Amino acid sequence: MKITVKLYAVLQVGRYREKELDFPVETKVGAVVNSLDLPSEHLDILLVNGRHVDREFLLQDGDVLSLLPMVEGG
Amino acid sequence: MRFLTDNPASEPTSVLYTRCTVDLESGCFLMEDVPCRNLEDVLGGFGRSFQMLAERDIQSAYVEENPLIINVGLLTGSHAMTGMRTYFSGYSPIKQSKKGLPAAMWSAGSGKFGAKLKWTGLDELVIENRSEQPVYIVIRETGDRPEVTLKPADHLLGMTTHGKIMALQEQYDDAHFAAIGPAGENWQNVYAGAVALSTVNQLKSKQDKVRFAGRGGMGSLMGYKNVLAMVAQSSDKLGRTPEPIKKANINVIKGGGSARLQPIKRGGGGGTWAAYDVLQAFHAVPVNNFRPQGNDLPERLFRTKVEQQYEIKSEACYRCGITCHNNIHERKADGSPGAFLAKFDYEPLNLLGTNLGLHEAAQVAALIHLCDNYGMDAITTGVTVSYVLSYNQRHPEKPLFNGASFGDYDKIHDLVKCTGLGQLPEIGHGVKRLSESTGETDYAYHVKGLEIAAYQPETNPGYCWAIAGGHMSMGTYGMLAREGKTDLDSWVAAITRDKLQIVGFDMIGLCKFFDIVNGIGTDMVVDCLAAEHGLKVTREELQAAVKRAFLRGLTLEIRQGYGKEEYCLPAEVTANPNHNITLPDLTTPEFLAELEKRVWEIFDREMQELI
Ligand code: SF4
Repeated sequence: MKITVKLYAVLQVGRYREKELDFPVETKVGAVVNSLDLPSEHLDILLVNGRHVDREFLLQDGDVLSLLPMVEGG
Repeated sequence: MRFLTDNPASEPTSVLYTRCTVDLESGCFLMEDVPCRNLEDVLGGFGRSFQMLAERDIQSAYVEENPLIINVGLLTGSHAMTGMRTYFSGYSPIKQSKKGLPAAMWSAGSGKFGAKLKWTGLDELVIENRSEQPVYIVIRETGDRPEVTLKPADHLLGMTTHGKIMALQEQYDDAHFAAIGPAGENWQNVYAGAVALSTVNQLKSKQDKVRFAGRGGMGSLMGYKNVLAMVAQSSDKLGRTPEPIKKANINVIKGGGSARLQPIKRGGGGGTWAAYDVLQAFHAVPVNNFRPQGNDLPERLFRTKVEQQYEIKSEACYRCGITCHNNIHERKADGSPGAFLAKFDYEPLNLLGTNLGLHEAAQVAALIHLCDNYGMDAITTGVTVSYVLSYNQRHPEKPLFNGASFGDYDKIHDLVKCTGLGQLPEIGHGVKRLSESTGETDYAYHVKGLEIAAYQPETNPGYCWAIAGGHMSMGTYGMLAREGKTDLDSWVAAITRDKLQIVGFDMIGLCKFFDIVNGIGTDMVVDCLAAEHGLKVTREELQAAVKRAFLRGLTLEIRQGYGKEEYCLPAEVTANPNHNITLPDLTTPEFLAELEKRVWEIFDREMQELI
């Protein structure tokens, strides 16, 4: 199935902003995240089609997975 | 401080702090060792100062009985990373209940002034009454007692914050400085004067890289007292860092706690600026007076865009490895950094940029620079000016002031400049008073009389219970965007228990970035207190002390006349919901009413128990 992965802020550095990737059906968010080799200290917010999910969330063909760092005050 | 016990929670009176009370009217000083009443006193900051403020009956901020309390925290000037904080407390000129009584406020800042103050041997300076003539205060380390003196300050009058610090640096070696600017000097017309705190970087480079205690108008209160600056002169006191603190410091830098704040080139997230990218994913970056439009305008101030044109230097306070300052410099032809323009932290960048319809980095930098040099709180100033622009958009036939509109840089610059010089009291008195004078209060973005931070109120009902500014005294601003929390139980628990713990950092002397998620009730802090001062304190005792201090702050608000109906978000949020924000809508009247009911059930009971 096709999943569009969007990266934000520092997660884009040295990578990309948006990419369509192929994964087997029933892939979980956690598996996609692991395959991307992102810096774990920066990855915080996981969204599928704009909604907050956790790593156990089952993706579906055509989903947009957005990966964001933490929002910080200051 | 003197510790006659290693157990400050059960024997607080065996911990003594050194306080100097300066009477500006008589010129008398009282130096005393004061026994602590409780763990909050021991921790310091607002945990101690609010107990003193609670003892006073203050009807107006500008009265002689309103003290300005300058203190530090237990870990200010310690080996613990970020231990640089200075706290300024008093009844606020800007934050006022509908009954017209001033609220107690504190404001915190980094830089090296706090550490130097602590190293003079003084833990707290209480400034009483006011001086007829402009003065500055010198606190010096001597043999065994700190020495405090008053000096005439006529020569500093009218100078910028940076100008004052540079002038004093010529006279005082091995010292750091706190100073107000023209805004604080014009306290009658500017209620949100800030206090600038010098950094090592500033004193070395002579560039105005200053930190600020900005919120609540403590610089205006200082101006009212006719104190233009303070000098803390002492030798540096840090030797070898004890092993447990070294471990904690490494954890702060490498353990993920602050990784997000560090420079991108060191593998960090680039500071609070990254909030732009994150919030924009939900169209929740404030635009044009907190009305995000669902477009990509905020992206023009993304870090990636700005660094195409400017050099961004990541810099830090003394010995701090977090390096959270993003200082923007012009780029010379050879690619090296040129003139310093301004610091780009999330709040000032947004509230003096995108939220005013300004999207050019150079223009925003000029406004931040202006606010910093005049010593004016960027949040209060930005939010009040954005109200003016919104009013003018609604009333093109009869605009306010110079008719400035969103994006009109020249006119906005004029407004900020004139405000800082005390020429526009209508803006200088903040958005609550201005909106009451126009009769259009719905789109005045304040809570309890204090302008909100750069997080959309739609995403943060916790603003209502923040006791000293929206994001610094209630850590709920990321709950919706970060955690996706939409259920009442989570919000009630966050407001009444977990996220109020953020104020612990405004007691102990550390920056929030030490561990913004967990607060000060952690093993890291426990270890630091043991290694630095030989104290045995538990996480639970720390958390309980923070909670009591918070509840005291809330109780004090109510005593100063706040009705429960004032614990509310700006009316526009519910009256005209903004559907451009793609996060779930928390601010339905039903949700807010239920939240209010449940939060007050808990806080009312706890305040009662505390009394
Ligand atoms: S976290 Fe930032 S403001 Fe705090 S001490 Fe470190 S560099 Fe200074």
